[in-house]
Formats: sequence, structure tokens, C-alpha cells
Amino acid sequence: MGTASTLLLLAVEGPPPDHEVVTDFEQVLLVALVFIIMFGLGAGLTPRDFASAIRRPQGLIIGWVTQFAIMPFLAFLLVIGLLLQLPEEYAMPVAIGALLMGSVPAGTTSNVFTFFSKGNLALSVMMTTNSTLWALIMTPLALVLYGQQFMPAGSELQIPIQNIVVTLVILLVPVVVGMVIRRYSANIGAVLELMGGFFGLFFIVFLLVTWVPRNWVLLVITPWQVYAVSILLGMLGISIAYGIAKAIRLHPANARTVGLETGIQNGPLAIAIVLLTFSDSPQLGVILLVPALYSLFIVLVATAVTIRFRRANLAEEQKIPSLL
Amino acid sequence: MSPHPWQQHYADGIRPEIERPTERNLAELLRASAGEFHDDIAFTQVMPNGMNGSLRYREVDELSDDVAVYLRDVVGLDTGDRVAVQMPNCLSYPVVAFGILKAGCVLVNTNPMYTASEMAHQFADSGARALFIIDMFADRLPEVLPRTEIETVVTVPISAFFPPVIAGIITATQRYWQRTLPTITFDHTPLRTALGKGREARRAGVDLDVYLAEVDHDALAALQYTGGTTGVSKGAMLSHGNLVTNTRQTLEMVGTHIRRGEETVLTALPLYHIFAFTVNLVGFHTMGGRNILIPSPRPPNNLKRAFENYPVTWLTGVNTLFNALLNERWFTEHPPKTLRAAAAGGMALHASVAEEWREVTDTPIVEGYGLTESSPVLTFNPLGGTVKDSTIGIPVPSTEVRCVDEDGAPVPPGQPGELVARGPQIMQGYWQRLEETAETVKDGWLHTGDIAEMDDDGFLRIVDRKKDMVLVSGFNVFPNEVEACLTSMPGIQEAAVIGLPDPKTGESVRAYVVADDPAPTESEVLAYCRAHLAAYKVPRSVDFRDDLPKSLIGKVLRKDLRATMTAPGSGDGLAEEVA
Repeated sequence: MGTASTLLLLAVEGPPPDHEVVTDFEQVLLVALVFIIMFGLGAGLTPRDFASAIRRPQGLIIGWVTQFAIMPFLAFLLVIGLLLQLPEEYAMPVAIGALLMGSVPAGTTSNVFTFFSKGNLALSVMMTTNSTLWALIMTPLALVLYGQQFMPAGSELQIPIQNIVVTLVILLVPVVVGMVIRRYSANIGAVLELMGGFFGLFFIVFLLVTWVPRNWVLLVITPWQVYAVSILLGMLGISIAYGIAKAIRLHPANARTVGLETGIQNGPLAIAIVLLTFSDSPQLGVILLVPALYSLFIVLVATAVTIRFRRANLAEEQKIPSLL
Repeated sequence: MSPHPWQQHYADGIRPEIERPTERNLAELLRASAGEFHDDIAFTQVMPNGMNGSLRYREVDELSDDVAVYLRDVVGLDTGDRVAVQMPNCLSYPVVAFGILKAGCVLVNTNPMYTASEMAHQFADSGARALFIIDMFADRLPEVLPRTEIETVVTVPISAFFPPVIAGIITATQRYWQRTLPTITFDHTPLRTALGKGREARRAGVDLDVYLAEVDHDALAALQYTGGTTGVSKGAMLSHGNLVTNTRQTLEMVGTHIRRGEETVLTALPLYHIFAFTVNLVGFHTMGGRNILIPSPRPPNNLKRAFENYPVTWLTGVNTLFNALLNERWFTEHPPKTLRAAAAGGMALHASVAEEWREVTDTPIVEGYGLTESSPVLTFNPLGGTVKDSTIGIPVPSTEVRCVDEDGAPVPPGQPGELVARGPQIMQGYWQRLEETAETVKDGWLHTGDIAEMDDDGFLRIVDRKKDMVLVSGFNVFPNEVEACLTSMPGIQEAAVIGLPDPKTGESVRAYVVADDPAPTESEVLAYCRAHLAAYKVPRSVDFRDDLPKSLIGKVLRKDLRATMTAPGSGDGLAEEVA
């Protein structure tokens, strides 16, 4: 039998019924990684950072708007436009994953890309922190608001809002602990911060080398619409936020920062939420599709954007005073 | 007028003359501190990400003893042998520098940013027999060493004396991520090995006092190289007496503003620079202070963790540093609450920066003045006494300062003259350069080459460098004045002014400016100058540039501009006139 006919068969029948999309070991490891990443985020923060942010809220307000008004809405539009054409029992779990991906806060990897794009690193860190804290309220709110638009009432699959809130709270604990540790030992704090950045990249590598090869069958039969949603969410998110920032005449460095910060979501956090709240659901693997694919593709998307940003005429910008 | 009009402006309790210090040498001063402040933290090195390591007074004392024994009993150096040190601010710096002084050897501070030929010149000129160098910069040595008398090279990692795990992370980052650690191909001793050998010899029974038997006030402590703006770099011979006394003079001037055993001073200036060496390192160590050592203060964000994590009470720096901090939002929004005072030197502290600093931090900032040749402190604005911005203050105790004309006669108050100074901190001379020494130190008076004015109260204001002065048809033009006029013109960011030979007027004024976009035209600039300056001060020509040559600490280098004008083939029509 040729390869083409194998694929056809798989597409019709799906992967073997006993195939585990995420193994128990992978679940534990991924959640542990997210904890380390959140530790690192906290270890880089001081109470002064919050005080500074409150003093000058324009940047944060813009970030808040792009992060929680635009990203979930964009995810919602992509769900409606692309996913709902698929059979409902497949579309619903994928859509939940996509909406969740759009509703989580900004990821720490955005700071790395901001740095290489010659953006405003301080603003980036501040926006990440700010959106992470706001996520406690805004992520569940966005899920409820948009979820009920396309989820059929009385469907078997529901978004467990309460569990998601609890998960978010649990995941914020390491942020606070990181801050406290930093307060008492600058050395341990700096190590945690370094590890957070390192494991953020390791997370992607981990997905690439273990999860992708193990699930290649699943990935091959995944419809193109799911890939499109995963890629477009980041790409359009960066473009729209950058466009808005330019339109309201932010300093170019800050506009780049807002763009990257908005488009780059906290993929590991979304995956951790799925793993911790849908662990009993048979649909777990499908819900995980968009978060996992997004986490992989955002690296490529953000790299491409960074290269483009770096080509911008930086010399011209130096005379523009910073507005934020 | 009294020859010392400044004495009435000292703060209360400051004596105009201090007695000869009782310590025979710097080593005695350091040992006394180690005895008194034994368990207190002496040094903390803070990396930009907050990683840090610390040494207590007793640890620095023991480790520097190990270095001293290593140099004398393991390497076999003698009293007065020169030892070069080339490292940024780090915990190893005090350990090594104190060790060299305790060994009775002569410290040769070397800028780590030097090129191979600058290193070779300084090592060969000083006749250094040993070198302590930060491992990151050791790649330049293979071409340097054969041109010197250096027999022993000790390499020092930036993370020495850090907790082991942290040191490992820093080294791994340097080696595999930043790739800043070169492979060292020549014969060398790692610091750890050198310390081990020294300790072994010390335990076997060594009397460290023997090293210092002949080392008293007149003994040479350091060869501090200074280029000046012209000529080749030469070593100012600073004796133990020079450095001990200048430390005492400076501390007397600051009085109770430095509290014994209670200060934390942020040392962002490099310790190989004489200002940080005398004031921060020796001065605060004498007073039981804690030095926060910053290996690399640029970008200024590198200081953020240090200010967040330590109760900084004192800060020393140059205008560039204060200005940079005032442009950092994290600093202006949360100025260090523990800060008590700041001291500026090295270059002119702009009045606008001083005012903004006081406003933002609510603490005093005072400007002082000195030269490498004077160990370095000659004058300071007296904290707690009268402070005048845009002046370098009044002479420190036991120091005489005058402004003199070409013949060496004092000029009346308010008149510009060359600043000359006499006191126990003036160097012994330039190392092996009798001619230059005779030109610079005459009858005990150090001729600074700076043109200054003294007001009726004895406060001094630097007008300009003598050698930068432009002589137009017999009139003195001070570049600083013309530059200040140019930068006050809207549309001009920076300006530099030099003199060029001129067949009619002897010299003429040439201006270099960095302008905004759109730039004013040359005739607009000249019209503006004519409206604000006497005719002979107005530049003959204006050159628009993208930037101006600057030194490491941000001073505009007029000599580099002059060099481009006199270099052959510079393409500028004026070059021919010069030749």
C-alpha cells in the first residue's frame, strides 16, 4: 500500500483508539516546566516595578486593550471563520483550545523577541506581568463571553470556568514565591530568572523532539483550518497591535514591543491549563491541538517579524523622544 | 587678600591643616581597618542581573596576605618591583591590589580596554615583572608579553570569590553563550593556584612585616599612568605617603558625612582610575564602609539591581554617570531612599545635572577636582559648608592652590591663570622622565595645565585646559565658552572647538557641531555666535558632523579633532596650511 492511500485511510479512521496524545509523563513534565517559567517571571520582579507601572498607565492600558480585547476577539473570529466549517464534535474541542490560546496572557518569550527587535524591554516585561495578573479575571471572562457564542447549550463538553480560575491562581503562586525568593537572595533570584528564560525555550524544544514525532499521525490528518488558526492567531495579533500602536503614534520601539507582546501568548500556560482542567476529558488531545501548534509556530512567526523589525531604519528613530 | 581665603568656608570641625598620618604605609592603614571591622562585609560585586559575591574585611585581609606572600616568597619579587593589574571592578581587585601593597611592591593600574600596543608600552615602561589580568582580556597577551619584562602572569576570572554555583553559571555563560573567554595559550597561573601557593608558604611561617621594613611614606606605592591630552602615556609616581595623606585629606574634608562603619558606597567608576582608587577603595575601606563594585556600569540599567538590593548611602561618579541615571526612569521614580550624598569628579559637573540630582534624590552632590599627579584630590566643595555649583570648590586641608600667569606670579581674584598646587599629595615625579617632571612640578608646585579663576572666597572655577586655549591675534579664546554658546543655540546638540594655525591671526577658531534635523546653516550658526560672543571668539568655520570623538567616560576629545586636521590627506583644505 502506498503512502498516499495510508494517509487517506488514516484521515477517515483517525489514529488508533488507544493512542495517547499526551502521556502522563509529558503532562507532569510540561506542568513542571510552566512552574519553573512562572518562578522565573516572578524572580525578575520587584514591588517597585508595579509602582512604576501604576504611575504611567498609558502603556499598560494599550497593552491591556490589545491583549484582552483584541486577542480573544481575533481567536473568536478565527473559530467562526475557519473551525466551525468542520464537523461539530471535532470543531468544538479544537475551538475551545483556540479560544483559550487567544485569552491567556502574554508569554515570557515575548521579552526575548522584544530584546532582539530593539524594542522597549522594560515595557515588555511590565506588559507581560500586567497581563499575567489581569488574566485571573480577563481569561475566564473572555472564555465565557465568546464561548457561549458558539458552544451549543447543553453540550456534553463545557468550559470548566471555575477550574480554570483555580489553575490560574495556582500558576500565579510561583510568581509570588519567585518575588519573595528574589527579595531574600538576589543570587537564587537571578538563577531562577535565567532558568525561566532557558526553560521557555526548552519547552518548545521538548514539544519538537518528543511530542511532534510521537503524534505525527495525528498532525498529518489534522485539517488545514487548525493550522491556519494556530498560525494566524500570532501573525494577525502582532500585525493588528503593531498597526494600532503606530496609528496612535507610539514611539517605534514601543510600537514593536506592543506588537510582539500582544501576538506572543503564553503557550506553555495555555497547555498547562488544558492539562490541569481537562485531564479527565477524552477530548484532551484535540483541545490541546491549537495551543501546541501555536507554541511551535509562534517561534517561526516571531522570528520572521523580528528580522523584519530589525531592518527598520533604527538610526532615524533615535531623535524621536520616547513617549511612553 | 589672605593667601588662604577658603579656610573660612570649611564646614564646622574641619581643620585647615592635618598632621602627618601616623600610618607608615597603605598596608598599615588596611590592616587597621581589617582589625576594627573584622566581620563586616567589605566588598560586594554585583552583576547586571543581580548575581553577587561578597568578601568580609578579614577575608580580604587574609587573601591579600596570600597574594603578598605569593609575590615575595613564591615568585621571588623584591621591594619596589612593579606589578601590573588589569581588571574591571571585581572582588579580586582589592585582594590583588592590597596584596601588592602589602608585599612592598608597586601597583601599576592598567585599563582593561587598552589595545595591545598601549598595554605593551605601559608594561615595558613600568618594567613590570608580574601581571594580574582578567581572563577575558588575556587574548592580547601573546603579542604583548615578548615586548615586556613580565615573567609571571596570573589570570583572574570575573566571578572569583562568588558562591560556587553562581560562579559556575557565570563562567558557563561567558564561555558558551557570550564566548568571551579566550583559550589561553601561554604559561600562566590561575588566581586560585597563586592564592593556594601563597597560603601554603604563609602557613609554613613567613613574617609579612619583613616585606614592609623599608616601606614608609617616601616609598613608591603606585605608578599611575596618565596620557594627558598630548604626548606619550607616562607613570605618575605616587608614594605611600601621597596616597595615605590624600585619603586623610579627603576624609577630613568630608568630616562626619562619612560615618564610621555605616556607609555603603556604590563604586561604578573603575578602580584602576585614581579617583575611585583613593576615594572609594582606600577612603571608604579606611572608614569601614561597604563597597558595591560594579564591573560594567554601562548601560546604566546595569546599576538597577545594585540600587534595588543594597542600601546605597554614597555614590561617586562623573557627570556622565549622574546624567545617565537621571535619564533612567527606574532611578528617578524610585531614587534610593538610603542615599546621603554624592561626589563628582573626573570632569566638570554641569550645574543643570547637579540641580536635577538634588531635586530627584533630595541629597547633596558636590564637585571636586584633582589630577592623577595629585593622588588625585586637590579641591572639593565642602559638604556641610558653602557649596558653589560650577566650581570645583576649595582646596582640601594642607593644600595650597593658586592661579598664576605665564611667569608664575599669582593673578588677582577673578582673573584666569594656570592652576598650580602644593601639598603632601603631589606625586614624586614621572617615572624615569626627569624632563617632563621638571616641566610639571616646579619648586614643589604642580602645574596642572588647567586655566582657573579663584573668586574672593577662594572657590575655583575651571575655565579650560591651557593647551586647548586658542590664541587669536593675541587674545585668549577658551573653547569651553564658545562651545557653551554653540550648544545654547536651538538645533545644535553638541559642539567642540579647537584652534587651527592661521597665517593672519596666528590661530583661528574652528567649530565642530552635531546638529538636529533640519540643521541650521553655517551662516546661521556664525550669525548666532556673532550675536553672543566677542568678534575674536567667533569661529572662522563650522564643520557639521554626525558625532564627536569621545573618551571612555564621555569627554569630548579635542585632541582627536586636532589630529584629523593635521593628519596628512585628511582631505580638508586647511590641512595644507597646517603643513
